[in-house]
Amino acid sequence: MKTDPTNSKISVENWVNDYSDALFQWAFYKTSSKETAEDLVQDTFLAAYKKIDSFKGNSQPKTWLFSILNNKIIDYYRLRAKTSKKTVSLTEHQGRELSNGFFNEAGDWKDTAINPIWNEDQELLDNPKFNTVMQSCMDDLPLKWKHAVTSKYLTDKNAKAICQDLSISVSNYWQIIHRAKLVLKKCLETNWV
Amino acid sequence: MLLKKAMRKILNSCKKTTELIDIKAMTSLSFKNRVQLYLHKTMCKTCSAYEHQSKLIDSSVMRWIETKTKPNTESSQKRKKKILEDISKS
Repeated sequence: MKTDPTNSKISVENWVNDYSDALFQWAFYKTSSKETAEDLVQDTFLAAYKKIDSFKGNSQPKTWLFSILNNKIIDYYRLRAKTSKKTVSLTEHQGRELSNGFFNEAGDWKDTAINPIWNEDQELLDNPKFNTVMQSCMDDLPLKWKHAVTSKYLTDKNAKAICQDLSISVSNYWQIIHRAKLVLKKCLETNWV
Repeated sequence: MLLKKAMRKILNSCKKTTELIDIKAMTSLSFKNRVQLYLHKTMCKTCSAYEHQSKLIDSSVMRWIETKTKPNTESSQKRKKKILEDISKS
């Protein structure tokens, strides 16, 4: 089926308006990175525009776009696995050590003092600097932990579905969330001045 | 000393208690764990404070994710504009 180039441009433009938010949310959920998600969605629409002739119209445009995006996500992870790990996030081992670091051998707090940053809840959340600090703290988390945390809050998926996604057991998932929270606590207490 | 050891056995360590606090936010605890947690918190200020901090971390992460993914915000408009520009260039 040959489509008129002007027509195909118009339909892709409409799709950008209708579906880019949903595509972005999915890409963000899959990669936990705003920048990567934006790039992937951008690539998806470019690819869609270039091969619009192969869109037969017997599936929904949304479905078609999501299948392109999913392929882009797979490519992204393949490439990342090949190129050396440039990320400076903690390893899971380091994350475990950091979260254990709060406690002595008996399991008591090493430092029982309560950091005052937690007393001013609303000020903490409303501070414009907050998102920058939060961003770097999230980036510090081991990738799997970050993924678990993002999944927990971003989707209405239940724990079981998230665990299947990450191929971990439910009790392992609870452990990861718990440890990630301790690491975030540490990071916020250190970087919040 | 012996009393302290016995108490720890019943009331859990702080490490275990923070774990229970975080798990409680995701699922329901057994009756025994609930009692242990309650008693431990009445005796330990730092763990009580951790429960509050843990909730605050929840809101922080939620806030962070919202600002990243909220549709129809300025960033969403910007994204759309950028995609459309790229398409017209190609």
